[in-house]
Amino acid sequence: MSVTIMPEAGGAHATLRRNFWRGVWRVMKRKPSRLVGVVIMAGFAFMGIAGPLLYPAQLPRDTDALYAPPSWQHPFGTDFEGTDVVALVVTGSQYVLLTAVITAVITVVLGTGIGLFSGFKRGRWDTVLMRVTDMKLTIPGLPLLLVLSTVWKFSAAFEMGLVLGLLGWGGVARAVRAQTLSLRERGFIEAARGLGLSTTHIVGRELLPSMAPYIAMNALIAVTGAVYAQVGLFFLGVLPFEASNWGVMLNTAVFGGGALTTTAALPYLMAPLLAILLLTLGIVLVVDAMDEIFNPRLREE
Amino acid sequence: MKQIARRLAGHLARGLAMILVVTTISFLIIRSIPGDPMAAKAQKLMEQGMSPEQADRAVAVLYGFLPSGGMWDQYVDYMTGLARLDLGQSLTVPGTGVSTVLLGAAQWTVLPVLAGTLLSFLLGVTMGVYAAIKRSGKLGDALAVSGSLLHGVPQYVLAMLLAAIFTTLIPILPAGGTADIMIEPGFNAPYIGSLIEHATLPVVTYALASYGGWILAMKSSVVTVLGDDFILAAELRGLKRSFIFRYVARNAILPLFTILALSIGLLFGGAIFIEKIFNYPGLGLLLIDSISGRDYALMGGAFLLITVAIIIANIAADLLYTVIDPRVRDGAESS
Repeated sequence: MSVTIMPEAGGAHATLRRNFWRGVWRVMKRKPSRLVGVVIMAGFAFMGIAGPLLYPAQLPRDTDALYAPPSWQHPFGTDFEGTDVVALVVTGSQYVLLTAVITAVITVVLGTGIGLFSGFKRGRWDTVLMRVTDMKLTIPGLPLLLVLSTVWKFSAAFEMGLVLGLLGWGGVARAVRAQTLSLRERGFIEAARGLGLSTTHIVGRELLPSMAPYIAMNALIAVTGAVYAQVGLFFLGVLPFEASNWGVMLNTAVFGGGALTTTAALPYLMAPLLAILLLTLGIVLVVDAMDEIFNPRLREE
Repeated sequence: MKQIARRLAGHLARGLAMILVVTTISFLIIRSIPGDPMAAKAQKLMEQGMSPEQADRAVAVLYGFLPSGGMWDQYVDYMTGLARLDLGQSLTVPGTGVSTVLLGAAQWTVLPVLAGTLLSFLLGVTMGVYAAIKRSGKLGDALAVSGSLLHGVPQYVLAMLLAAIFTTLIPILPAGGTADIMIEPGFNAPYIGSLIEHATLPVVTYALASYGGWILAMKSSVVTVLGDDFILAAELRGLKRSFIFRYVARNAILPLFTILALSIGLLFGGAIFIEKIFNYPGLGLLLIDSISGRDYALMGGAFLLITVAIIIANIAADLLYTVIDPRVRDGAESS
C-alpha cells in the first residue's frame, strides 16, 4: 500500500518544490535589488575560496610607491610597504569569511539545539538554560572578548570562529525556543504526537523543516556579526596578526598610516571599509528577500 | 506599586548574579595571565629590599589579593575587596585607586551615550512613523532601506567614515580629546563650546549607530497598530487625522521601550571603538589602554563598570516601561 502512495507523495513534493522556486523567482523579479544581493554574496564566496589563488603567496611590493594614490594599476593605492590594496582585500577575505562561516555554524548548531531542547522539554531544564542564555545575552560581548584576549591569543581562524560562536548562540537559542513553543501547540505537531511518532521524528521531520528558513536567516545574520567582531578585534590591535585580513588592514591604516588625520592613507582605509559595507549590503538584501519568500504575510500581491 | 517593587527586586537579583559572574571571570583571567605579572612584581619589590611579606602585601594592594596562597583564599580576598568597593590600584596612573580613574572616565562615556540615545530615539521614532505611513511609496522604501543599512553597519565603520569625512577631508571638527587643551577648563563659554565641538562626532556616531534600529522597530510597530480594529473604528467615526495619529503613536511607541535597554547596552559596548577612533577618554578607551598597558586591576574595574552601566540601563528602561504602560503599571495583567 505504501508503494502506491509513495509516488503520489513524491509528485506532490515535486510540484511544491517547483512552486517554491517560482515564488523565489517572483520575489526576485519584483525587486531586482535582491538579485544584486545574491550576486554580491556569490562574489564574496568566490573571493574567499579562490581569492588567494589569484595572487602569488608573497604579494609583490612596489617599494617606490608607498601609500601611492589610486591609479589604474592600483585602484585603491598601495599600503605602507607598497603592496596593492585590492590584492590585500582579496587575499584577506579568506580569513575573514572562513572565520565567519565557522562562527555561523557553531552559533546555529548550538542555538538551535539548545532552543529546541529547551522549548520542547520545558520544565526545569528550560528554566536553567534560559537563565544561562539571558545572562550570556546581557554580559557585554566585546569587553569580554578584549579581557579574554589577555590570556588567550585566539587569532587562528578556527579559534576565532570557536570563540565568537561560543559567545554568540544566545540570541538564536531564544528565538528558536520561542518558535518551538508556539509550533508545538499547533495541530500538525499534536497530530504527529497522537500518531505515536517518535520525538526524533517530530523534532527532525516536523519541527525543524518549518523553522529552517528562519534558522538560515539567523545564520546569515551570524555571518555579519562574526565579520564585524573579528575585524573589530584586529582593528583594536589586541590580538597578534595571524594572516592578512581586513581588520589588520584597518589597524595599520589608522594607527600606522594615520589615515584619520592625513589623506595619503585614506584609500588604504577605505578599501576594507567598502568591502565590509558591500558584504553587509549583500546580506541585508538576501535576508530581506528570504523574509518575503518564507513569510507569505509580507508578500505584496 | 507592589508590581514595580517585585520587578525591581527581580532585576536587582539578576544584576547581582551578573556582577558575580563578571567579577569571577575577571579574577580567573587576572590570575591566569601568562608570565604571572603578580609574582614578577613581588620579585621586583623584594629586590628593592622589601621582605617577602611586605612585597606580597604591596602587590595585594595593587591587585586585591595576595600573590601567594590558595586560589580559593585569593578569590575570597578579591571579592571582599570588591564588596568594600576597593578595586585595587592603577599601575599606569601610579598611586591612584582604580575607582578614582574609573569615575573620571565614566562621565565621558555615560553622557555621550545618553545624548546619542536620546537623539536617535527622537529622530528614529519620527522617521519610523513616516516610513510606516508612506510604506508603499518611494520615500518610505528609502527610509526603511537606510534604516536597515545603518542598523547593519558596525559602529566602527560609521565612526571611521565620519572621522575621515569631518576631520580629514573637510576638517571642520576636532580629531580627538574632550576639549581644546589651550582653553582653561571651567564654567565659561569657550570651554563649553569646545566641549560640545569635541563631543559632536562621538555623539553623532552613537546616534547613527542606533538610529537604524529605532526606525525599523517603530515602522513595524506602527504598521501593526494601523491594522488594529480600533483605528478602523476611529476612521469610520470620522475622527480627525491628528486624533487618529495620536492613538497610533501612543500605542506604537510602547513596545519600543523594551528595546531601549538593548540599544543602550549595545552603545556601551560600541563605546570601545568609538572612543578609540575619536581618542575620547571614556571607559572603552580605558579598557583598551589598560590591556595594552598590562594594568590588570584597571582592566577588571573597567569591565565591571561597563557591565554595571548596562545593568542600570536595563533596570531604568524596565522601570520606564512600567511607568508608561498603564496595563503593567496597574497590574491588570497580573501574570
